[in-house]
Amino acid sequence: MVMSEKIKPGEQPETAAASTEQVPDWLQSRLRRMFSDVMDEPVPDEFKALLKQLEDKERGS
Amino acid sequence: MTGHDHFLEQVTALLPALRAFGRSLCGDPARADDLVQDTVLKAWTNREQFQSGSNLKAWLFTILRNCYYSELRHRKFEIEDPDGVCAGQVAIAPDHDAKLHLRDLSRALQQLPVDQREALILVCATGLSYEEAADVCQVAVGTIKSRIARARDRLVELLGDDAALVTGHPVVGALADVDGASEPRSGGL
Repeated sequence: MVMSEKIKPGEQPETAAASTEQVPDWLQSRLRRMFSDVMDEPVPDEFKALLKQLEDKERGS
Repeated sequence: MTGHDHFLEQVTALLPALRAFGRSLCGDPARADDLVQDTVLKAWTNREQFQSGSNLKAWLFTILRNCYYSELRHRKFEIEDPDGVCAGQVAIAPDHDAKLHLRDLSRALQQLPVDQREALILVCATGLSYEEAADVCQVAVGTIKSRIARARDRLVELLGDDAALVTGHPVVGALADVDGASEPRSGGL
């Protein structure tokens, strides 16, 4: 167990929801994997900076 | 205000999903991240309009989608369009005989008209319901369903051979099970 890898709020398993019978399983699982591959990437620092900026603005005003 | 901090926290938690949605929409990581930045700024600016308790993810997806569409309008020269008129100018011509490898899913997605692509992604990849996807795209649920059906048919056409290899059974059969897709296919082998 890695203690630092805590689950962040709002980070439910995205792929568990909505499955549609319209689309064959192989295609759905490919789509989900494509999506979750990106989700698993670390969020670039530029976003942290942006959020920090907005947070400061919020407190300042 | 703590409420606003909470808002930003929630937005932060949804950044990975936003990046994934943006990337699957436009197919370009750097451009997708620009879209997400715009989305975050717009969301923050309009945060009073968000009704707490409603679905923040769907709301953010709606904003990102709007950003994408307005960018499309400004960058017509290099993008695919809903009618697929310009699509042939990018990388791969929409050749109906051209089969792509399964790993080229994101390239195949880019060959779809954008309205079909977003419907498919929203329902199959992001975990939104049909109703939520319809809200995001501002169309009826039935429209989402028919867009997904068309997207599926095209992707099966592009990736079907590989899919059969991967799963070990022909995709055509799987398709027929689903809803008896009745599109005429050119005469067998």
